[in-house]
Amino acid sequence: MTDPSAAVLDTLTTTEAGTASRHEAGFDGTLVVLSRRNVAAGVVSLELGPRSGEGEGGGEGEGEPLPAWRPGAHIDVVLPTGITRQYSLCGPAGHTSRWRIAVLREPDGRGGSQWIHDNVHEGTELRVRGPRNNFPLRPAARYLFVGGGIGITPLLPMIAEAEAAGADWSLLYGGRTHASMAFLPELEPYGERVDVRPQDQHGLPDLAGFLGDPDPSALVYCCGPAGLIDAVEARCASWPAGSLNVERFAAVTGQQPVGGENNPPIEVELRASGMTLTVPPQLSVLKAVEHAGVPVLSSCEEGICGSCETAVIEGEIDHRDSLLTEDERAAGDTMLICVSRARGGRLVLDL
Amino acid sequence: MSQHVRNGWYLGAWSHEIGRTLKQRWITDMPVCFYRLPDQTVTAVEDRCPHRKYPLSLGHLDDEGTLQCDYHGYRFDGRGACVGVAEQTDRPKAALRRFPLVERDGAIWIWPGDPELADESLLPDTSWLNDPGWTHVHGVVPLKARHLLLLENLLDLTHETFLHPTSIGNAAVAATPIDVTVDGDRVGFSRRMTGIEAPPFYEKSCGLTSPVDRWQDGEFHPPGVFILHIRVAATGTEEPEGFHMRVLYGMTPARGNETHDFYALGRDYLIDDEELTTFQHEQQLAVMQEDVDALEAQELMYATDPGGTAESSIKSDLAALRGRRSLMKMLAREQHGQPGQQGDRTARPTESV
Ligand code: FES
Ligand code: FES
Ligand SMILES: [Fe+2]
Repeated sequence: MTDPSAAVLDTLTTTEAGTASRHEAGFDGTLVVLSRRNVAAGVVSLELGPRSGEGEGGGEGEGEPLPAWRPGAHIDVVLPTGITRQYSLCGPAGHTSRWRIAVLREPDGRGGSQWIHDNVHEGTELRVRGPRNNFPLRPAARYLFVGGGIGITPLLPMIAEAEAAGADWSLLYGGRTHASMAFLPELEPYGERVDVRPQDQHGLPDLAGFLGDPDPSALVYCCGPAGLIDAVEARCASWPAGSLNVERFAAVTGQQPVGGENNPPIEVELRASGMTLTVPPQLSVLKAVEHAGVPVLSSCEEGICGSCETAVIEGEIDHRDSLLTEDERAAGDTMLICVSRARGGRLVLDL
Repeated sequence: MSQHVRNGWYLGAWSHEIGRTLKQRWITDMPVCFYRLPDQTVTAVEDRCPHRKYPLSLGHLDDEGTLQCDYHGYRFDGRGACVGVAEQTDRPKAALRRFPLVERDGAIWIWPGDPELADESLLPDTSWLNDPGWTHVHGVVPLKARHLLLLENLLDLTHETFLHPTSIGNAAVAATPIDVTVDGDRVGFSRRMTGIEAPPFYEKSCGLTSPVDRWQDGEFHPPGVFILHIRVAATGTEEPEGFHMRVLYGMTPARGNETHDFYALGRDYLIDDEELTTFQHEQQLAVMQEDVDALEAQELMYATDPGGTAESSIKSDLAALRGRRSLMKMLAREQHGQPGQQGDRTARPTESV
């Protein structure tokens, strides 16, 4: 298993057009860090809650309740440096007095995770937005969870829910070393259902053995580094459509091919499917949409053929294709999502 | 609803094809009957008798220009109004649908859509067909393939390298990228080949030996006209010393997935050289036959394609893809009750491909 290198997470997601994915009014304000714990080498967990109300004699976390959420949800943390990062909620699902996230220190990132590791303590205030859910857990008789490194975070509340629902589930949890793998103590009570595979002891996890043959009654949920997700996708190619649900935590590292100023991450709302994706610099909107399980036609993936043409409802397009004419570009109501991006960080697509 | 744009000019016939006899030709899935009135003006009416739909083109035209249906004898005057039925006294209320026509430079242009929208200024410039400094040959070839395939064939001349290797194609064509321009609905491309080997047709047509410069500038005037401007010169001598040729294609949808492939091939040098004219005409027909064979083979594959697989495209498809979009947009506009063909604007180059 490769380094999850995903502390600085640009989440990108994937689901069938899910009911649970949402856009509803969430929280947007300041939360205070109620606790900070080291949960593995390089990983801290933070609990965030409202500052206790005045005159309520309040202990910590007894202010206004936070919005409810479902497993798979994430929040945005807006750092004073201006960087926004997404972190999955990993405390007990639906907890409305405090939210828990986990942050892996990413030395090669753009500094978001480092800043949190170095500057955030109990009592620190952080600007938070959310929650949003691009990775909702859908009902199934059986679940196969695959987590890599910090990708375990969204799976924790899913597992709790699957367990509570009496579903048949199992987890394959990979990481670099035992010490780098967070939340092992919380997983221990589940016994045999959990297979912990630190790479330094076991090598690469046995996905073929874990996933087995296509099972129409099962849903696969996977989160972790790109290499793991790609491997799971390859394994699940013969599964019924919609079986696999992944959330990509794309590392923002020095190796972005076209990254930086030119290619900032963008937020893409798929109006018809009711979900919002964050598209990291190194991924095309087309790929992001595909990963989200929304079917789109494509062929050349170079902005030539026009098969991926998509109507744009809102947002300013950064056209990078060869096909559209100047008039079509200026009209701003259509884009070739295989290459084009957004100016201004946000697009609403008719998908 | 027809799958073809109707609000636009199509080449309906060459002038010499239409006289004082009735000629049927299907255009955009409509039967059309062409004929000339005694004053030589050309007329085109829907080729269905308003009585019981018998084809009027199977009827008769008299010396006064009265058209008679040969089934039950309805007669129509030059404006398409019914002027009587056989020997009966009562005159039925009936009129023929007449299509807007323009006869110009030896070509008859027809507007199969809404007559209110027919606008002569949208016709492409064909004055070279009538220019004493030029000579040309022309005709029409039947094609059992859809209009769009012919359009894409003409907008992507890289196929010359592979489909016409013994006449007009050689490796230089496919190897030279094109510039694509869009002007409203019109799509143009140009390809500048310099210092290339002379393809056989140009060697013989122009007496040139390699190396030559060869320029192709294509214009698609949607929905149905393509004009290719060809200039060939010994390398180093640029315009205006080169040999100039033009090819016009009228791509007129017929019935179902069939198309009338009108052509005219012109040149501005050795215009009295009949032998050269004959040679060029034969070559033109031979090249077109290669295209017709290819397009008919391709038509079968499109017609039987169960769908579900995307086409693959490359950069040299850009002009054809733009042309396809223009047609689709015109069709969409037309289905929303707006004019199909839109006017001129200043051409501006876009990107190199
Ligand atoms: S896939 Fe061809 S233009 Fe996007
Ligand atoms: S069908 Fe023409 S006169 Fe009867
Ligand atoms: Fe050809």
